[in-house]
Amino acid sequence: MTSKPSQKTLDMQKLGRHFTWFLIAIAVLLVGLELVVHRHGVAAIEDSFMFPALYGFLAFLFIVQVGKWLRLMIMRPEDYYEGGPSDD
Amino acid sequence: MTSLPPGLIMIITAALLPFVPHIWRQGLMLGAIALSAYGLMLGAGDHLVWQVLGYDLVLYRADALSFPFAIIFHIAAALNVIYSWHDRHWSQHCAALSYAGAAIAALHAGDLITLFVWWEATAVTSVFLILAAGTDSARRAAMRYLIFQVLSGVLLLAGAAVLAAKTGSIAFGAMTLGDSASWLIFLAFGIKAAFPLLNGWLQDAYPEATVTGTVALSAFTTKLAIYALARGFAGTEYLIWIGAAMTALPVFFAVIENDLRRVLAFSLNNQLGFMVVAVGIGSELALNGAVAHAFVHIIYKALLFMSMGAVLHQVGTIKASELGGLYKNMPFTMLCCVIGAMSISAFPLFSGFVAKSLTMTALGDTGIMWAYFVLLFASAGVLEHSGIKIPYFAFFAHDRGFKTGEAPLNMRVAMGIAAFLCVAIGVYPAPLYSILPFAVDYHPYDASHVTGQMQLLIFAMLAFVVLVRIRLYPPEIPSVVLNSDWFYRRLAPQIGRPVLRAVMLVWRAFLCQMRGFIDSFWFMLERLLRSPIAGPTIPGPAALVQLLLLMGVLVLGYVAAGA
Repeated sequence: MTSKPSQKTLDMQKLGRHFTWFLIAIAVLLVGLELVVHRHGVAAIEDSFMFPALYGFLAFLFIVQVGKWLRLMIMRPEDYYEGGPSDD
Repeated sequence: MTSLPPGLIMIITAALLPFVPHIWRQGLMLGAIALSAYGLMLGAGDHLVWQVLGYDLVLYRADALSFPFAIIFHIAAALNVIYSWHDRHWSQHCAALSYAGAAIAALHAGDLITLFVWWEATAVTSVFLILAAGTDSARRAAMRYLIFQVLSGVLLLAGAAVLAAKTGSIAFGAMTLGDSASWLIFLAFGIKAAFPLLNGWLQDAYPEATVTGTVALSAFTTKLAIYALARGFAGTEYLIWIGAAMTALPVFFAVIENDLRRVLAFSLNNQLGFMVVAVGIGSELALNGAVAHAFVHIIYKALLFMSMGAVLHQVGTIKASELGGLYKNMPFTMLCCVIGAMSISAFPLFSGFVAKSLTMTALGDTGIMWAYFVLLFASAGVLEHSGIKIPYFAFFAHDRGFKTGEAPLNMRVAMGIAAFLCVAIGVYPAPLYSILPFAVDYHPYDASHVTGQMQLLIFAMLAFVVLVRIRLYPPEIPSVVLNSDWFYRRLAPQIGRPVLRAVMLVWRAFLCQMRGFIDSFWFMLERLLRSPIAGPTIPGPAALVQLLLLMGVLVLGYVAAGA
């Protein structure tokens, strides 16, 4: 049996939904602006359609994915440094 | 009075704090900071020079580079006084004020020996902010921190000594990497600037300090190192490589770190990378970028540490796996944290945007595209860990059922001032630009730049929302993340102890053997001396005494003949 979510949890879920729609609205606005603003970057590739958006999106996914792999290698229990030889 | 090095009055005041009642203490500290800041009015020039042993000790040098750092160091010191107003014990106030004073005095050192003195003073004063936490882990971290900080100072002194021997000068100015002196000094600065593999002390020690101590620590040491690099090694190409690595690598560690103050320490390292790259470029625009970034970074990083400190103060933990849902309990802190997060992420109209743009544009001008795209990537990383992870896990994510309220009023006032500055500088950057080392002809708010930056940030946030919705965002796990401090906290003892044991074993065997040889030698000598030399009536020792007496007579004879 799962416990009933608290009122605050429900509020946060609602807030999350609103925030998502808010982000989508800004994203749509940015796509629209891309059509009217002459955006220019330092490198030629930056002038491609929605390049910063794509770069930011993919960079974020990459960071999180690499972070997950890193966890396998460098994550240790909280008391890792407490046991074993003293590090003084 | 004004020709005293700025900061010195703060150190003197700090020495008086144990004798001042709490009701007057914070006011006195603010007064000392104001008096020290008043000393900056003297303007550019060498205002206090001592001649010692033929060397010029320039105790107070001010110029266009030291001035913006001095201003922001004073602001940070004042913010810290307000933030820690509720703390009735003098010890931390004493440490924080003298630490800030030492850092400010170091900014105005015109020679390497004076710089060394203040450089070490920042180490010795700041360590008490870590020790004050009172835990065993804090004590250990403080000792490791002190070792690294003092090592940095020793390298600086060694570099200064080599430089003095070679050139006869100890002046602190622009250097070219090449000889041993410059490398020693570069390494000394590199430790405090938390270069890759030299950065372990930062993520190790800062999160172990007290609630108020971490705020003070975040402001001074590392930015003093950035100042020193800007003065000594501007235009050194290695710094672009080092800085780029600093921006990118901590991002991955911050994603999986559970302690939110340690996340901020990784974030601090990442931000230093932007400044180091700017120093490495070395152009006027880039140096303006480094200084502007340091200026705004001190404010928004302090704001983020203050907000996390407020959470720790109220809830008693700062682990992401134990936090969440505080947005209704601490709405003001949440708002300040979000402002700090938006500033560090460089949203338009926030301070990070107007500073980071200078560096990115300067980097673009150099044509070093790989570094440009690494820094662009790191910008998405900043958003991930400081822009999203910090506020999300502290104030939203999961309801943990905390029954707490806002932090004390003084903490909120300090956060409010810092948040106001983040927005004010972002909206109206002209005053900041006016105090940068070089004249600024730069306008961050053009449509192309704003839309490009907004695209990067908003779509990165959308990536976060997508990952959370499909439950692929890594959950908070109680853990520690290994960092470069692992090499000396675990690897060195694991390898070093058996090696040390083997060496000690050989050494003891050697000593034992030597003792045997020595005993045998004395035994032989004893036997030789005890054996009769000239017949049975004259024993060895008597012959020796006679020999020595005769030698004495001979020497006397020679002396007499010579005279």
